[in-house]
Amino acid sequence: MASSTSAPPTLQVRDLTIRYRTPTGTITALDSISLAIPKGGALGLVGESGSGKSTVGLALMGLLPSEAQVAGGQLLLDGSDLLALDPEARRRMRGPKLALVFQDPFTALNPSLRVGAQIGEGLVHHRGISVSAGLDAARRLLAEVGISDPAAVADAYPHQLSGGMRQRALIASALACEPELLILDEPTTALDVTIEAQILDLLEGLRAKRGLSLLFISHNLGVVRRVCDRIAVIYAARVVEQGPTAAVFARPAHPYTKGLLAAIPRLSERRGRLAAIPGRLPDLAAPPPGCIFAARCPFAEPACIAERMPMREDGERAARCRRLDAVGAAPWPVAAPAPHAARAEAGAPIVSARGLAKTFHLRRGLAALRWQGGRIVHRPVFVRALDGVDLDVAPGEVLGLVGESGCGKTTLGRTLLRLVEPSAGTIRIDGRDVTGLDARAMLPVRRMAQIVFQNPDSSLNPRKTVRELIGRPLVRFGLAAPGDVAARVAALLDLVQLPASYAERYAHQMSGGEKQRVGIARAIATEPKFLVCDEPVSALDVSVQASIVNLLADLRDRLAVAYVFISHDISVVAHLADRIAVMYRGRIVETGPTAAVLAPPYHPYTAALLSAVPDVDAPKRDRIRLKGEIAAPTGSQGCVFESRCPRRIGDVCATAMPPTRAPAPGHAIACHLETEELGH
Amino acid sequence: MTGYVLRRLVFAAFVVVAVSMLIFAITSLLPANVAYLILGQFAPPEQVRALEIKLGLLDPIPVQYWRWASAAFVGDFGVSMLMDRPVAPMVGEAILRSAVLAGISFVFIAVVGVGLGVLAAVKRNGPVDHGVSVATYLGIAVPEFFWSIVVILLFAGYFRWLPASGYEPMDKGFWTWAHHIVAPVMTLVFAHLAHVSRLTRSSMLEAMQSPYVTAARAKGLPERTVVLRHALRNAMLPTITVLALDVGRLMGGIVVIETVFSYPGLGRLLVFSIQSRDLLTLQAGILLVAAVYALANLAADLLYAWLNPKIRYGRSVA
Repeated sequence: MASSTSAPPTLQVRDLTIRYRTPTGTITALDSISLAIPKGGALGLVGESGSGKSTVGLALMGLLPSEAQVAGGQLLLDGSDLLALDPEARRRMRGPKLALVFQDPFTALNPSLRVGAQIGEGLVHHRGISVSAGLDAARRLLAEVGISDPAAVADAYPHQLSGGMRQRALIASALACEPELLILDEPTTALDVTIEAQILDLLEGLRAKRGLSLLFISHNLGVVRRVCDRIAVIYAARVVEQGPTAAVFARPAHPYTKGLLAAIPRLSERRGRLAAIPGRLPDLAAPPPGCIFAARCPFAEPACIAERMPMREDGERAARCRRLDAVGAAPWPVAAPAPHAARAEAGAPIVSARGLAKTFHLRRGLAALRWQGGRIVHRPVFVRALDGVDLDVAPGEVLGLVGESGCGKTTLGRTLLRLVEPSAGTIRIDGRDVTGLDARAMLPVRRMAQIVFQNPDSSLNPRKTVRELIGRPLVRFGLAAPGDVAARVAALLDLVQLPASYAERYAHQMSGGEKQRVGIARAIATEPKFLVCDEPVSALDVSVQASIVNLLADLRDRLAVAYVFISHDISVVAHLADRIAVMYRGRIVETGPTAAVLAPPYHPYTAALLSAVPDVDAPKRDRIRLKGEIAAPTGSQGCVFESRCPRRIGDVCATAMPPTRAPAPGHAIACHLETEELGH
Repeated sequence: MTGYVLRRLVFAAFVVVAVSMLIFAITSLLPANVAYLILGQFAPPEQVRALEIKLGLLDPIPVQYWRWASAAFVGDFGVSMLMDRPVAPMVGEAILRSAVLAGISFVFIAVVGVGLGVLAAVKRNGPVDHGVSVATYLGIAVPEFFWSIVVILLFAGYFRWLPASGYEPMDKGFWTWAHHIVAPVMTLVFAHLAHVSRLTRSSMLEAMQSPYVTAARAKGLPERTVVLRHALRNAMLPTITVLALDVGRLMGGIVVIETVFSYPGLGRLLVFSIQSRDLLTLQAGILLVAAVYALANLAADLLYAWLNPKIRYGRSVA
């Protein structure tokens, strides 16, 4: 990474302060932020949700909502202050000077306009070229961002494209007017790791080729590490640390940066506890007078709370901490790992599925009639979300289930609980076939098998208090007499490390992590033996994610409950799981003990998944890149991964069911390649 | 898309057939014996019975329905006993005049309603927004007959700009015709604006908050383009559905308006046929209203599909 500090800065943000007027008071969203990006440089702006990082991007674009007001500072682009310009002049800079790529490619494209028109319209407006010339330019741009059939994609509507293609289209649209500065606001957060890796490759290439300056806003340190040469860490409206990426990662100066780095689960060191950052963001309407992070900082001393600390610069680096020298290289403290309870080894599995299949019919009957070649034909559309899955979970065992979105892992989790009815196959819970049970007979099974959902915002009823939410299963299953419910709820809250006073709160009065704790308390209220955790941490910030993962690990040990832990993030799964099952297009392609799955021999898909994970500790590696994206499973004669497999042998992959290779007891890989060949 | 159109067509036809059965069932239950209507209230029972047999009134209801429906299918709705004229051309003339009145009103409702909705959304929470919402709510909150009386009092009585009621055909000159139609159209439009303008406003507000609108602004497009090209196109989808439903409300409105303004359309004919127990005219009239309603919804579904590429084009191509 070539540092280019000698070049004149393209962008300079000086002491930018932005306040929001809200019904409950004025919130300081950005507090004297100063940043600089040299020409061709890439700055990563890292912070958790609520830190104010997206406000920086919107302020640069001049797209702040009307409640926001710039209370001070300068935004210098090529030396001239953007804030001094009138709205019309700023509008003319959007596109030709500055461009923004949004987080969510699924909503940032207009659903009723063709992709090509959306990419070309900026050029049509700013350069006054014709609509058809705009379309030609759009096709060229689509080719530049790595789309193999630009004409077809330009002609398509957004819903016809996959997430990765939409993000490429959005990047093409941002590049159209050749901006000097490209602002990327969480550009890969909504994408799968394999697609994220493709997009990051693309951004690296574009930056080198076009000499673009990048402002890369993200919560993901691993992603930022790959793309940026400098990073700025933002916490509660203030920049707390800035410096060259490699130096900050090697020796984080500010305690918050240390905490963020320590909280990331790593594939290389599993089994311990993750470092969590206790507490939550301070109230931005009334920020504390001293260091903004003092309340959560393990290194804080009384003076930190009393006085505000200015940025302390040291050559290339700067940090806002009064105890910089005292803290030095001290690592973020990690609580001692809880002893892993001796599990009831052997014994019958608590959950056992055989030949599980689920087909969703998207179009059938009259709806499937199509006009084709001059006559009406029947073209049903269906998705085989589960295509013959066999699965066993031992009592007290954590089975990690990984795969890209759309691979069927959520359907599998729900089908195991019969929240989704299987189309074929059997499910045994605690030895009993539950496939045909009616609702009444299912009741005792429901008590034994519960679920924690991904999104705590939508899985908690906003009109109920925590007491009602957690108390409901207690009453429903007759686990507590009406007089005892309050005490049981308090005990459950204690178990998930929430104060008993939270029993009176509503969902909107809690943070994301607290809501997820309530979701977990509700699931364990019935003392289940088996829990499906469906992406329980993927909606949470890294620091909060760490504390929830630790909580789940503790609960497993204390309550001896078995989990099916579903996640797209293989590092989180690796941290918690005893065994891992890798899913692709409705089938399990590899399963085995965690250590065996994470080490060769790999299924080619597992190898690609592992290779795509952006690594916080090692920026460059040999990477396996998957082409294209996961397609909806519609059943296959052969291997489900065949169309994207970098190690495809030949037609046999498409026509014959792959045999199961067993390199070690309990380790199974479904592949036509021999075990020895899978080893490298 | 073809499958979609086919399904919508089948559905519309199904609605019309179901309504025709319902109409026939209801009118058969009405205490109106055609034989007595023809022969007079005090006709001797033998004569009534003979006529009933001759007219097939003693056949089972399904047989009677089949006879009526199969004739209606080829456009024969029988002869009105009261007017002594074939029903079909009579209803046809009336519905044409009503269609003109309703059609003009509908165009105004759609254009003015959407326009006001967009305006209110763009000037959200300002005086324009509040003004629009108060005015349109006033229109919908008070029934049409009240506004028709206000219009008559104001424009016919006080200003004397317009005739109080009546109808003149187009061949007496465009201006004479237009002069008579302004007041009923004005009343209908005012009474039906709120639905369209309120819905357009709220779906516009939603669209204006969406990431794709922010993305359009981030391209540096002028606000006009952002509003009309990016937001309105998507915001129109729910409005179209409501416009189709409003066709039904408009039919109800026409019955009132035509009666108040003495406008010789389908509404007034329906009221008259009910009062005089002219069952054949009534059946034909209601069936036509139902058919218009089904057609309006069919048109809305097709327009919706055309504007919404998710329906027009299937799933992924690339």
